[in-house]
Amino acid sequence: MDGIISTGLIGLIGLSLGTQYALLSLGFTLIFGILGVINFSHGGFYIVGGYAAYSLSHLVGVPFPLAVVFATLFCAALGYGVEYFLIEPRVNDHLATMMITLGIYLIMTTGTTAIFGPEPPEFRFPVAGSFRQHGFYIPYANLIVFVVCTLVIAGVYLLMFRTRFGVALRAMADDRAVASAQGLHPARLFPMAFALATGLAGLTGALVTPILALDPHVGDSVLAKSFMVVILGGLGSIGGATIAAFLVGIFEAYSSVYLGGSKGALALFVFVLVILVVRPTGLMGRVARRA
Amino acid sequence: MSVSLPGRLRVGPDLWAALLLLPLVLVPLLSTNQFYYSLTNQFLIGLIAALSVYIMLRMDLLSFAVPAFMAIGGYAAAIAAKRGTTDVLLLLPLSFAVPALVAFPLGALVLRLKGVYFVLVTFVFNEIMQLALFETPALTGGSNGIAGVPPVTLLGLELATNRMVVFVTLGTAILAILITLAVTQRFRPEFAAIEENETLAESLGLVVWRYRTIGFIVGAGVAGMGGFALVNMLLTAHPSSFSSFSGVNYIAYVIVGGRGSLLGAVLGSGLLIWMSNLFSSQGQYSTGLFGLLIILVMTLAPGGLVGTGARLMRTLRRRSAGRNALVRGDQ
Repeated sequence: MDGIISTGLIGLIGLSLGTQYALLSLGFTLIFGILGVINFSHGGFYIVGGYAAYSLSHLVGVPFPLAVVFATLFCAALGYGVEYFLIEPRVNDHLATMMITLGIYLIMTTGTTAIFGPEPPEFRFPVAGSFRQHGFYIPYANLIVFVVCTLVIAGVYLLMFRTRFGVALRAMADDRAVASAQGLHPARLFPMAFALATGLAGLTGALVTPILALDPHVGDSVLAKSFMVVILGGLGSIGGATIAAFLVGIFEAYSSVYLGGSKGALALFVFVLVILVVRPTGLMGRVARRA
Repeated sequence: MSVSLPGRLRVGPDLWAALLLLPLVLVPLLSTNQFYYSLTNQFLIGLIAALSVYIMLRMDLLSFAVPAFMAIGGYAAAIAAKRGTTDVLLLLPLSFAVPALVAFPLGALVLRLKGVYFVLVTFVFNEIMQLALFETPALTGGSNGIAGVPPVTLLGLELATNRMVVFVTLGTAILAILITLAVTQRFRPEFAAIEENETLAESLGLVVWRYRTIGFIVGAGVAGMGGFALVNMLLTAHPSSFSSFSGVNYIAYVIVGGRGSLLGAVLGSGLLIWMSNLFSSQGQYSTGLFGLLIILVMTLAPGGLVGTGARLMRTLRRRSAGRNALVRGDQ
């Protein structure tokens, strides 16, 4: 009985990890699908979101939910500027955009280290306590993050599949030449798409870093995680990224319990490699773009 | 066959890139300044790693896996030096051969992946290598690495001084650049066809996977030589020397220098390593300055240093040609 409960609980942890990874990798896959850009600064926007929420809620005294909203808007605005001024002029050169986003990431880590220092700040979730039931408990913070992440993912789906803006973005992703011929402006849509994606990264950072960890270099592992989820799901595929995020979350939860931290991570990498050998374009990927 | 190979003999600019390294032999001969020794070593090791990236880029494959292959080569050399021979004439081929042997089956798996999937998988491969190093303490020393690697010898002569280390690194770099030249020149038309249009090349009868595998294996071997040079400089093999993110730096060297030529790899590694040494006096800001430099070069000189330089030359030449034509017209 005990075993069944704990196995189920690990599954729950995996699900909640999955929602976080999904939110994180949606932005990455959106940018790649629509612009064809591998965004190396994705983890950077995550830490900027985290630090923005931290400084607003802990240093300025803004209520946490508002701080999260402001952090999201800040990251979206920053992303808009970055796309408009730096990426847009070279948007068709994959290597150049990759290098530019890498440079942005390096500046972001340096900037946050310079302002907040290399030590992780004490960033706590405002809601303490846990939900207790029959010998197990879940912290309220994790429940709230889970619910908010799920709602936002649903919102992204509505936006992408039910609004004219989403249709325009997906048209851009499908065939840029035809979409432009139909009167859509890449120069107007791309910054918006980038802002949407970096806003999502910032939102994830603001929400998740108080329950996980926040320091200037946490972006490295965030980027690696987004890579994994997105190649597993199929690049540019929103549905694939969501499914893969849950797969990775659940796999990680179980493997970290039964195999331990670094062996678990190794197993996850091997799992992703095996899937790619069987399906070279990921679970739901279409024909690959040229790098 | 010879009819279709007019491009095979265009060695000119690439050879210049190799010749640029020769004056470095003066550094250990004329100077005793340890800082110059260290800078020369760093530059040459960075260059060897960049050469591995360059070989793969010739076939339109962007590889982040250079640190992983450097680790294989470096660890192989360190283990051999600890347990058997320290002769550089054996260690150097070994550091090429072991990663090349690993790359052979690995290439069969990952070269099927196209475009960005390949890019991201090579990134994941670095993470796997880091974890594998930590998980095999019996062979690699785990998180302690392999310390106290004995200095290399050449036919019984010990090359232990800092001056000798620079010579060994320079020799390794020149060998690496010659291997790179040999491969990229020998297979220039094939690589160019794959880079230009893989489907077309394949439909015209080019066995794409064969050349990709050759490039992948040689790239891995060259990276391994870089790993050997790095271990020989530090006299330790440690996982932190082969971090995943260093792979990003090596790619930056090639792209900032100009992705189309060997000269680009040399100039890019030179500029970025020199600058990051300058920046390192700025302490915590050095990474940010490095990022800013990359953004500046990519925004102002999209073809990298070499590409933009060549374009400037062409524009100047055309302008002067145009002026000459005007002058003649006036007469």
